[in-house]
Amino acid sequence: MDYIINTWQTMFVLGFEGRKRVENVQILVVDDDKEIARALAVLLRSEGYQVLLAYDGLEALDMLITEDVKLLLLDIMMPRLDGLSTLLKIRETKNIPIIMLSAKSEDSDKILGLSMGADDYISKPYNPAELVARVRSLLRRYLRLGTIAEVSEVSSLCVSGLCLELEKKYLSIDGEVVRLTATEFKIMELLMSNPGIVFSAERIYEKVWQETAYMVENTVMVHIRRIREKIEINPREPKYLKVVWGIGYKIEKL
Amino acid sequence: MGTKLRSFSTKTWVKALAFILVAVAIAGITVKLQQFSYQEINPESLVVAEYAKSATFTREENSARNTIEEFIREITNSSKAAITMDVPFNYYLQIGEQSYSNWSDKKADYEALTTSFFGYENGKLIYGSANNPMSGDYLNADSLADILTLYLAFPASFMSEQQAEWDKMHLEMIDFVISILVLAGVTLLLLFYLFWATGRRPEDKELHLNVIDQLYTEFSLGALGLLVLAWLAVAGNLFYIQQSGSSIELVLYLLFGGATFLIASVCGLFLLSLVRKIKGKRFFKHTLCYTILAKIGDFFKSLFDERAFAKYPLTKTLFYRQQVFIGTSFLMVLTFVVLFISTPLFFFPFFLELVICYWYIKGNNKTFEEINKGFNASIEEQMKAERMKVALVTNVSHDLKTPLTSIISYVDLLAKEELPETATDYVRILGEKSARLKTIVADLFELAKASSGSLHLDLEELDLKKLIEQTLVEMEDKIELSGLQLRISLPEQAVMIRGDGKKLYRVLQNILDNALKYALPGTRVYVELEEQQNKVLAVIKNTAGYEMNFSKEDIMQRFNRGDQARSSEGSGLGLSIAESFTNVCGGYLDVSIDGDLFKVSLNFDRVGIVG
Repeated sequence: MDYIINTWQTMFVLGFEGRKRVENVQILVVDDDKEIARALAVLLRSEGYQVLLAYDGLEALDMLITEDVKLLLLDIMMPRLDGLSTLLKIRETKNIPIIMLSAKSEDSDKILGLSMGADDYISKPYNPAELVARVRSLLRRYLRLGTIAEVSEVSSLCVSGLCLELEKKYLSIDGEVVRLTATEFKIMELLMSNPGIVFSAERIYEKVWQETAYMVENTVMVHIRRIREKIEINPREPKYLKVVWGIGYKIEKL
Repeated sequence: MGTKLRSFSTKTWVKALAFILVAVAIAGITVKLQQFSYQEINPESLVVAEYAKSATFTREENSARNTIEEFIREITNSSKAAITMDVPFNYYLQIGEQSYSNWSDKKADYEALTTSFFGYENGKLIYGSANNPMSGDYLNADSLADILTLYLAFPASFMSEQQAEWDKMHLEMIDFVISILVLAGVTLLLLFYLFWATGRRPEDKELHLNVIDQLYTEFSLGALGLLVLAWLAVAGNLFYIQQSGSSIELVLYLLFGGATFLIASVCGLFLLSLVRKIKGKRFFKHTLCYTILAKIGDFFKSLFDERAFAKYPLTKTLFYRQQVFIGTSFLMVLTFVVLFISTPLFFFPFFLELVICYWYIKGNNKTFEEINKGFNASIEEQMKAERMKVALVTNVSHDLKTPLTSIISYVDLLAKEELPETATDYVRILGEKSARLKTIVADLFELAKASSGSLHLDLEELDLKKLIEQTLVEMEDKIELSGLQLRISLPEQAVMIRGDGKKLYRVLQNILDNALKYALPGTRVYVELEEQQNKVLAVIKNTAGYEMNFSKEDIMQRFNRGDQARSSEGSGLGLSIAESFTNVCGGYLDVSIDGDLFKVSLNFDRVGIVG
């Protein structure tokens, strides 16, 4: 009972604070395609954000000097200064969330973008709802960053944007609370204590159920799928809980 | 008429008949000769009509004279009393005062026998040279020659007897000669005919060769020579038997005639073969020597054949340089040997050879460098082309995605607007189609990358069984929605293969999507995995919900969908992508269609079992 009340409290407080801040949040959209930039602006404004537009990297850099920008949507293929160079330039001084938005959809492109300092990578053509969700998620994390020390307790386990509150028994993703069943919680606890390590379904079963695994892999897989549906913005392209095909599952260490 | 004669004369049986006739005629000639030798006929009777004028008669006279000479030697050496000789001729011999005679001592008596009288006085022929010009001029009697007189005559009875014999022989001789001539004529004529007709056939004008002609000319000639030698041996042996007039004579004729016939026949075969070769202008070409020499010649020619290099200037120079090197080196060795024997200048070719070596190696190195340069340039070009292909795919993909992004974005924004009901419906359709377009573009891009070989792969050992289970769990919703039952049969233990997990997930996903999309509602979809020795076979089977009036090849073609009308989802690239991805992972995808049963099988190499 305590657990449930705690969860509800947390959700209410965080949700309220998130809403309140949206009004002053400025997002910079950088894309050489003016129509796409405009569409993004309309989309984000409808979500209550203030949007600035830039059409190439240099323009974006100029704007960052004068404006207080909380998040960047950055295209890669642009004239004058391309997205990746712009990203490097910005990262020299600022650590605001940056989402790369590009028609380059290869895994290698994504890895490159993320390793150069981007916080997320969305490939074009994007799904508008997913884009908004990702923007919101990143902003929440960024804006909460200062308060994380206050909120987090000794008994919390944090990997990337995920935080498992071991005592209060809930999971927060960039501050947003997600309810998990007891089994799901145990699975997440196991995976998050060992980020980056691949667990086979049998091993997860043995650790979580404390029984010898025999033809029960499906159970684990189904649980993991449910968890993913709860925590991922796009369960098909999971960001946190990843499937290693033919081997097992892992929590991505960003 | 001419063609008729020709077609008749080239018939096989005509030729065979002629052939046999020739052999018989040759046998006939030999038998005639044999007969002739047995009968001891004097061939001179043919040309000299009179016996008295013949060389045979001269020999008779010579032998008479020899008898006399022997007689003279006897009487001078042994001082025996006078002996008379029993000889078929008449003689009067006077040595000094002593005289010997078996007929008369009058010269006139002897002279009366004009055709057969020979008179020697003082050892010299005085009379009778007209009778037979070939008779001896001297009577060989050593010291007695000066006092010696000899009259020698053959009696008329002897002469007429001999003449009668001579005449008989003359007739027989003519008979013999005519038969030989006729036989020889026939033989020659038929031989010429055969020479002309051999190798020809009535139906065409080509030259036909047969089995014997396969033999090299030397062998044919050798066989011919051996046969002739064999015949000569047989003939020689037979002629020496000399069994004239007996019953064995006929047997000998038959024996010899038969042997000759056989040998002549076999010889004829070889001879005609040679004739055919000459006619075919391959008498010399088809010799073993020529063949061997030609082979050797070809071998050397191939060594010095520059045609293969003519197109490529670099290798051409290499080739020529090599030839020059070999040639001059050989020359140097030769001059070295020559100079070594005669003069102390022998080190000169040695140094020259060093210079040649230097030139050769220097030149070759330069050419090799040029070849490498060209080779690298071509590889570079190829890489460039490959890079350009990938760049093209990337650019086209980018150019397609950018407008598509705008479309999707604005359709989404439009959907949020308050619009009349019909417009909302249109926008919904636009949304669906643009989403599908997005899938197609993404699939197309992936397929292009996979086909151009520029796909990034993370190959690792993975459990195909687990992969199938994971895929099934991921697709649980879709499977439930389809209302199809899945029959899954997987082995208990892990099935390890090597591949890229993400790509293989796409493969399985596409195949299962396909099965779910096109299976007849209420039927079962079978997913099976089995291990065979060193192979792994995964099979996904479903019963099609429509008639599959296409072939396996059709379905594997890009942009081909089983039933165009049935679904508007997907890009139609699913199976193609599955195939490409399977291939890049080292597997093999096969599709089979059997009635309504649609079956996709995936083959992989097994990697061994890991607990």
